[in-house]
Amino acid sequence: MNLQKVISGFFFILAMTLNFGFFYGDMGNYELHSVYELFGALVVSLISTALKIGDKTQIGSVLLSTSLVADLQLIAAVIVWTLVEHINSPISASNMAVIVSLSGGAFLANITSVVLYIGETLKSKR
Amino acid sequence: MRDQALWIILQRLRTPLIVIIVTYSIAILGMVLIPGWDGEKVYHLSFFDAFYFISYTASTIGFGETPYEFTYEQRMWVLVCIYLTVIGWFYAIGALVNIMSDKVLKQELAKGGFRKRVRGLKSDFIIILGYNYVNSQIINKLRDAGLDVVLIDHNEERLNLFQLEEFSTGVPIAVADALLSNTLVDAGIHLPSCRAVVSHFYKEDKNLRIAVLTRFLNPNVTVISKATLRDTMTSLVDTDIAKVENPFEIFAKRFDIALSAPHLLILENWIYKNADLSDKASFLPEGRYIICGFGRLGKAIKEKLDKHGMDYIIIDEKLIPSREMIENETFLKANADDRDVLLEAGIESASVLIAGTQNDIDNISILITAKKLNPNLYVIARENTMKEESVFRAAKANWLFMIERILINKTSLQLSQPLKHSFLKKVLYQNEVWSTSLVNLLKSQLGSNPKLLNLTINEERAYAIYHSIKDGESISLNVLLKSLEDWKTYHKAIPLLLKRNGYEFLLPKDELLEIGDQILFACDEESRTEIEIIASNIYDLHYVCCGEEKQNWLLSKFFDKIKKFKK
Repeated sequence: MNLQKVISGFFFILAMTLNFGFFYGDMGNYELHSVYELFGALVVSLISTALKIGDKTQIGSVLLSTSLVADLQLIAAVIVWTLVEHINSPISASNMAVIVSLSGGAFLANITSVVLYIGETLKSKR
Repeated sequence: MRDQALWIILQRLRTPLIVIIVTYSIAILGMVLIPGWDGEKVYHLSFFDAFYFISYTASTIGFGETPYEFTYEQRMWVLVCIYLTVIGWFYAIGALVNIMSDKVLKQELAKGGFRKRVRGLKSDFIIILGYNYVNSQIINKLRDAGLDVVLIDHNEERLNLFQLEEFSTGVPIAVADALLSNTLVDAGIHLPSCRAVVSHFYKEDKNLRIAVLTRFLNPNVTVISKATLRDTMTSLVDTDIAKVENPFEIFAKRFDIALSAPHLLILENWIYKNADLSDKASFLPEGRYIICGFGRLGKAIKEKLDKHGMDYIIIDEKLIPSREMIENETFLKANADDRDVLLEAGIESASVLIAGTQNDIDNISILITAKKLNPNLYVIARENTMKEESVFRAAKANWLFMIERILINKTSLQLSQPLKHSFLKKVLYQNEVWSTSLVNLLKSQLGSNPKLLNLTINEERAYAIYHSIKDGESISLNVLLKSLEDWKTYHKAIPLLLKRNGYEFLLPKDELLEIGDQILFACDEESRTEIEIIASNIYDLHYVCCGEEKQNWLLSKFFDKIKKFKK
């Protein structure tokens, strides 16, 4: 067992699951999407990006790029949320739909990343 | 590889980044969860408020407590946050500074810069291994000839010295071990513009190693290296790409020539621009020769003396005589730097003395003693390094054998003026009659210091001839020698060498020119311009070929068309 693999796998998958938790539910309904879950998804996504940095292999660079996409989408969602909440609260259904769909995009990137990661692990002989 | 440096930074930054992300998120989450009091009711900071607050607290800017004054519960958490995040930042900054001063990273950055500069060189370049007096002179001469140079040395201090030199601008340098193939690849040995590698290491097995490496890396590159031992020489030659320079053999050849055909030496000195043709050619004096020191030089000279059947005696302290020497009594086992020994060797009646030991000071001392004992003696002195040149000159040696000078001259001529070098190589195998007549011809026609001109039959240098030959006309070398004033007469230039696909014609007469021919002329200012004009101007070429002015091409086509049209 490789401890490094455990840790990085843990963060990659946690990023995906947290994101799914935030994304799941009626798109326009403010009540169904927790801000803490979004925060958690962003933090874990950033950590998994940092873990992917500096891997010189081909698969490593693809993993890094998917992670960067997820970060970008989540940061966009956070910015939209902040703007909406502090400037024209309360949040309308259409605003919420924008935030949730952004996180949905990040979720897709997370899935890609996890699939690649699992594929690479399966291919490994060790 | 420049990427390598980037990867090193990224990999080292991984942990500091994670530390910052984790500390920030703990701090932010705490700030959001801990309830505050806005004066009327309980409130929670939003994530944005918390991020804003932590950002300026962690970076020790500290704008104060927003949006409302904090409660004591909040302040306790802020205390934790401050220590947590500030420590996180310090750790990250410390790590970054550490990376920047990292030796490996610096080396990688320097290597990346070196590779980039080598690949940015505009003209053909030559890789020089090691920086010393010989190579510095070679670099200087190559730069004068418009060639680029790449320098590698494993000693950083020596390269720093190089950078103080005037000719160092634009020369990519690298501190690296030249004996590794990676270094040679970084220095651009794969590139088509890499012409040669100069490897003049003192340890000759290194030269051999370089030649072998180069042969596998890029067989089109020439390796120019020094070898003074027969074994190394043959192994070097066997690599097929090495041009070996053995200063002792080179000098012995000169010695041989000086005994049999001194006019050849005049020609050589003129090509090297050491002297002009007006020098008087003189044979080495006949009589008894004394060879002091029987090392690589002594052995080479003995061979030549044997060949000419001259009378000689060898003086060497550590000599192990062969049977032949004992039979002929041609040796003295003694220290040559001794009056009595020189007298015993018959210095008073000798005509030539060769001070050829490995020690420069011994050589000077022998030279001075010998001159005292016999003022008419012709002395050949060996000088191992260029440092004591002035002392040797002051001691009035008749002929100085300077190992380093020979290496410098030969290497730089071979690289910067390959045509002259080929000419010289051919010339040295001619005899005295041939060379005397050539020297006299040159002197009578062009004066004592004729210029040399290289002409290559290609589109750039000889536009007119190039296109005529392409159109199927046959142009002979004679055409280039005709006078532009009167096509029936000739100007003064003399073609010395014609090089074609590796074949060389010495003193070509009336060869038919082909594309790609390289011709070396001896000429004066005037004939030089004439050759260049004939080669590149179609009207002048037409005139010297058939003695009439050429019709303007466009106009004649035009008139032809009109004629056809009328018909």
